[in-house]
Amino acid sequence: MMQRIRKTRAGRKLLANRMALGAMLIIGVYLAAAIFVMLGGISPSFCNQPVGPPNIPGFFAEAPAEKRLVNAENTLAVVDRALAKSTPESQQASLDEIQVGLRKLEKISLDDFELKLEKAYAIYDDLSASPDLENDESGLALLADLESEVESLTATPTFSQQVMETIYLSLGTDRQGRSIFIRAVFSIKVAVQIGVVTAMISVAIGSVLGALAGFFGGWVDHAVIWLYSTFSSIPNLVLLVVLAYVFSSINVEIFGKAIGQTLIPVYVAFCCTFWIGPCRVIRGETLKIKELEYVQASTTAGFSPVYTLLRHVLPNTIHLMLINFSLLLIGAIKSEVILSFLNLGVQAGAGASWGIMIRDSRSEVLNSFFWQIGAATTLMFIFVLAFNILSDALQDAFDPKHV
Amino acid sequence: MWAYVFRRLIYNIPVYLTIIFVVMALLRVNDPVYAFLGKNTTQEDIDRRREEFGLDRPFLTQYGEFLKRLAFFDFSQESWSRRGRKVSDEIAGAVIPTLSLTIPALTLTSLISIFVGMISAFFRGRNLDRGLVFFAVLGMSISFLVYIILGQYFIAYLPQKYFESHDMKETWGSVWFAIQGYEPGLQHWFHYIMLPVLISVIVAMGYDTRFYRAVMVEETGRDYIVTARSKGATQSKIMFVHMLRNALIPIVTRIMITLPFLITGSILLEMYFNIPGMGKTLITAINEKNLPIIETFTSLFAGLFILSNILTDVLYAIVDPRVRLT
Repeated sequence: MMQRIRKTRAGRKLLANRMALGAMLIIGVYLAAAIFVMLGGISPSFCNQPVGPPNIPGFFAEAPAEKRLVNAENTLAVVDRALAKSTPESQQASLDEIQVGLRKLEKISLDDFELKLEKAYAIYDDLSASPDLENDESGLALLADLESEVESLTATPTFSQQVMETIYLSLGTDRQGRSIFIRAVFSIKVAVQIGVVTAMISVAIGSVLGALAGFFGGWVDHAVIWLYSTFSSIPNLVLLVVLAYVFSSINVEIFGKAIGQTLIPVYVAFCCTFWIGPCRVIRGETLKIKELEYVQASTTAGFSPVYTLLRHVLPNTIHLMLINFSLLLIGAIKSEVILSFLNLGVQAGAGASWGIMIRDSRSEVLNSFFWQIGAATTLMFIFVLAFNILSDALQDAFDPKHV
Repeated sequence: MWAYVFRRLIYNIPVYLTIIFVVMALLRVNDPVYAFLGKNTTQEDIDRRREEFGLDRPFLTQYGEFLKRLAFFDFSQESWSRRGRKVSDEIAGAVIPTLSLTIPALTLTSLISIFVGMISAFFRGRNLDRGLVFFAVLGMSISFLVYIILGQYFIAYLPQKYFESHDMKETWGSVWFAIQGYEPGLQHWFHYIMLPVLISVIVAMGYDTRFYRAVMVEETGRDYIVTARSKGATQSKIMFVHMLRNALIPIVTRIMITLPFLITGSILLEMYFNIPGMGKTLITAINEKNLPIIETFTSLFAGLFILSNILTDVLYAIVDPRVRLT
């Protein structure tokens, strides 16, 4: 395989481009992550599960003191509510149900819980009286006490649990306490899935129609031109929105899920508009190739037009398909963000996507919390950048006239 | 030329009819009246409304009537969700906000990116060019939404908060970029519209700069540049007179293709900054299942797209005498 690529001029040029190789490496890493998620590494339901207090910053930075106090108080309140139940049995039952992040509560007697809670609340009362917690040395020390007191309520995690927790909290949590890291990584799979599926289908439809139109001409050409001028005359975003809206209200079930909950509406909406680009390009290229000697030779030799098309014309447009694939993939990933903003893209049941994360982070940004938007944007930025560089390199390698 | 325009118009009629057919059919896949009224309505209510809206008739009759109205530019249909308001009122109210956003945005983007593209092409292969191309690719790789969210926060929200806490709300706060909203009148233009314009310029810059650079680079290799240089023309004269003139064809095409967006507007920016333009009106109508507005707006937009395509080809022939319209 490598040998064959090296033999072509374009292949050599591509392999000599260090930026392109780097981009391919990055894309490989992303694909590996996507495959890991797809094989069950992260389930969609896990994406939506809280793993800690809301909006804690990433890289284990300390949240503002106010916030830490509120978080500690929230945990105390949950335990307190459980202890307020009437009978000891129901108290125990609701204590068993409590989860602080991913941790269960410590298995100690109800009286011990009462004692600990009382102690913690005593510290809390002292602290909440403090007017300026952020700059108060003794207050901060007390806060640390309170936090360790709260932590002693929960079961001591095993080593593997600790490692997992470290990973989950590495980029902080969103407003519902869900792990930003997990959601961002899961979104890689959603992005790759949307990108690859829509780009592949669009390029396939576009190339087939474009090649047929260019090769056979006549009424086929007219029909294809009519089809794509129709689709391209509806503003892109409007068509996407109308299609997504139609799908969201259809009650058809696929694989046991309502169709509005799957990614199918997104695929269809994207494919309807994305096939036009490759179709135009490939039609133009086919018109050019059709006049070349080897195609004429094939026709003269008596091969059927279909054979000539498949054997001599289509293989010579593969580089255009490749470039278009790469460009459409970027387009799909970026459009997904916009559809999600309009609430028409990936639905919450399907897990997470960069679009959903960026949309959700709007209110967080107003509170100066940048971890969610930062994580989603960075991951998306690197991926899209890699594809942008790769498309440029492909264009450079295959189209020497292009600058 | 007029024969060409006429022929293209005729040729595009079936395209236009299909578009309207597809959009109308798509919107009727699910009962639009039921979707509009919501789940808590009786069958009688739905039937009554359906008759009122004229949706009880066969689809082809509805299609024919819509076409007839469109042909006579009769937009007097009543909006579903706001009684008494005609579709034409909605259009009239939305055009000006949209144009006040898109015209400056398109002008600024084109001017700046043509200039940057020229500079980049002039210094081709050198560090300045590499840096500009690199930044263009970087800029293209960030989502539109991120620009909007961060731009709004850092350029509008933080300064406005600062003004509020320092008692400058009356003086500075009403001049500096607003967080969102819209008020008619030229004196409010900077306050409400300038920030969306800036953001859309920044977003479009990446794509346009690369395109114009490619156009200019193609021109730098031409013979007439060598001729101009050998007869002693100054560098700036070569760039701004000889090159720019010849690069005008792709530039004009590029700008013409984006013209329909003047009307359709930037849906995202209008949604985010709460500007009551065409895009926002359409999205609101879709959310409210407001059929007359969705249908009229999409058919208007599609018509504009088709007209601008024809106009592009005609202008192409005017700018470049080698192109024959056949």
